[in-house]
Amino acid sequence: MRLLVPVCAVLLVSGASLAGTAAAEPDAVARGKYVLRAAGCVACHTDEKGGGTVLAGGRALETPFGTFYTPNITPDPGAGLGGWTEADFLQALSQGRDPQGRPYYPAFPYTSYRGMTEQDMRDLWAYLQSVPPADRANKPHELGFPYGLRFLATVWQWLYFEPAPFRPNPDRSDVWNRGAYLVRHLGHCAECHSPRGRLGALDGGRELAGNPEGPDGKKVPNITPHAKDGIGGWSKTDIAFFLKTGFLPDGDVAGGAMEDVIRESTSRLSDEDRAAIAAYVQSLSPVPGP
Amino acid sequence: MRRVLCALSAGLALGLAGQALAADSPENLVKYRQSVMKAIGGHTGAIAAVVKGEVSYGAHVANHARGIRDMSLIVPDIFPANSGPMDYADTGALPKIWEEPAKFKLAVSAFQSAAAKFADIAEGGDSQAIADGLGALGKTCGGCHKPFRQKKE
Ligand code: HEC
Ligand code: HEC
Ligand code: HEC
Repeated sequence: MRLLVPVCAVLLVSGASLAGTAAAEPDAVARGKYVLRAAGCVACHTDEKGGGTVLAGGRALETPFGTFYTPNITPDPGAGLGGWTEADFLQALSQGRDPQGRPYYPAFPYTSYRGMTEQDMRDLWAYLQSVPPADRANKPHELGFPYGLRFLATVWQWLYFEPAPFRPNPDRSDVWNRGAYLVRHLGHCAECHSPRGRLGALDGGRELAGNPEGPDGKKVPNITPHAKDGIGGWSKTDIAFFLKTGFLPDGDVAGGAMEDVIRESTSRLSDEDRAAIAAYVQSLSPVPGP
Repeated sequence: MRRVLCALSAGLALGLAGQALAADSPENLVKYRQSVMKAIGGHTGAIAAVVKGEVSYGAHVANHARGIRDMSLIVPDIFPANSGPMDYADTGALPKIWEEPAKFKLAVSAFQSAAAKFADIAEGGDSQAIADGLGALGKTCGGCHKPFRQKKE
């Protein structure tokens, strides 16, 4: 009799998750939409300049290695992810590999997304399955020699990439851990705010210490609490308010790539999540530079 | 008849402004533009301090909002052709302002309507409406800064 209880529980749980994948439960879709915002997928996977459909891809990303064109991630069977399974999707985000096992270029920030919780990835998948399919065909990347050789992405992954799920730090508060998760993984702030080494790998020792050559070759500011070079003079409220509205403490307003981040992502988060991001960013060690 | 006259005088006014500006040095034009932007930023910074609860000057918000609305009316004048980065390097204004004038005009008018709307909201004095309104106004600042401005070092 005692044995039966856990067995029943297992059956119930697996039943529930099956239902979840078959006809995505509405809660998963709603949660997935929030994850999509927090992770900023829309800004990259939408060709806003060309008036493209949301998530249908086609946005050009200029990098020192050439121009990447983001793919269509709507559920269109031909042009998008229509043929994908949930497992394919989890593998793309956590391991940076396509359904055939080939590596993606790190212009797709799976280097940050690898820490996403399985729950968040599944919810995100449920949401992506629910958006209208768009048949915009993918455009091949235009990369300089030798970066156009995709096998080099394999070499890059050997050198710099290891799948690593997020592990909360038990010595820190829940708020701090939530902030760390949002900044390092979903919000991928480091992809722009941390300097990069020669092959585009992030410089781990200088987390968020600014990037002299960010997206479109523009400078991205240091957001560690360094008094002179970073945002040491900002209060937690200043940071949270900036992420909500784009207003800096001096009344100026963010432009550049951050405008996208605020409009599509951080302004749409809960106040609690913005406060968590602020708490985490303030806890970093102050680093001078870039 | 009235309309024709109006159009004529508006045309004249523009022509005159153009002449006056051509005589002003690019450096001074850029500095003037930056002063106007700083004035706008001064007002939004002050309003933000109220909205964040750092100071309790709630009654001042309407004054600042009127200031922004007033400044929004002169924003169309502060981008004359001889004030671009080719004329004076120490500016955050991007060449796109003069290359895509129709798009730039849209950004200006979006800002003007948001500034007018925000001044009305501020007059009403409701703090939640003010906080939301400031967010909406900020979107139109960002909507111009993103395509048309590169922040100086
Ligand atoms: C910084 C820009 C950027 C962001 C943000 C981004 N992506 Fe991408 N994504 C890319 C690029 C570039 C590629 C193509 C990589 C390649 O070809 O190797 C890509 C590829 C993909 C693929 C593979 C598609 C295919 O057809 O193989 C999926 C799935 C995907 N992204 C989903 C997402 C999701 C979900 C998010 C948000 C959690 C996201 N992306 C955020 C840039 C981005
Ligand atoms: C796509 C690139 C990108 C991403 C991702 C990004 N940022 Fe930014 N961020 C920028 C740029 C560019 C600026 C400078 C904006 C300007 O020039 O007005 C900036 C400015 C800022 C500033 C203002 C700093 C200052 O001194 O003016 C803060 C704070 C900030 N970002 C925080 C964050 C946080 C927190 C995240 C993650 C949730 C994040 N950013 C993600 C590109 C990015
Ligand atoms: C129609 C375009 C446009 C709009 C709308 C706009 N700005 Fe600007 N702003 C600019 C440009 C261009 C510059 C760079 C000016 C220069 O350096 O010549 C700038 C510069 C600034 C500066 C820096 C001035 C300095 O040199 O120190 C501040 C502060 C500023 N803007 C605040 C704001 C605020 C706040 C708003 C909205 C309430 C706003 N701006 C709306 C275009 C705009």
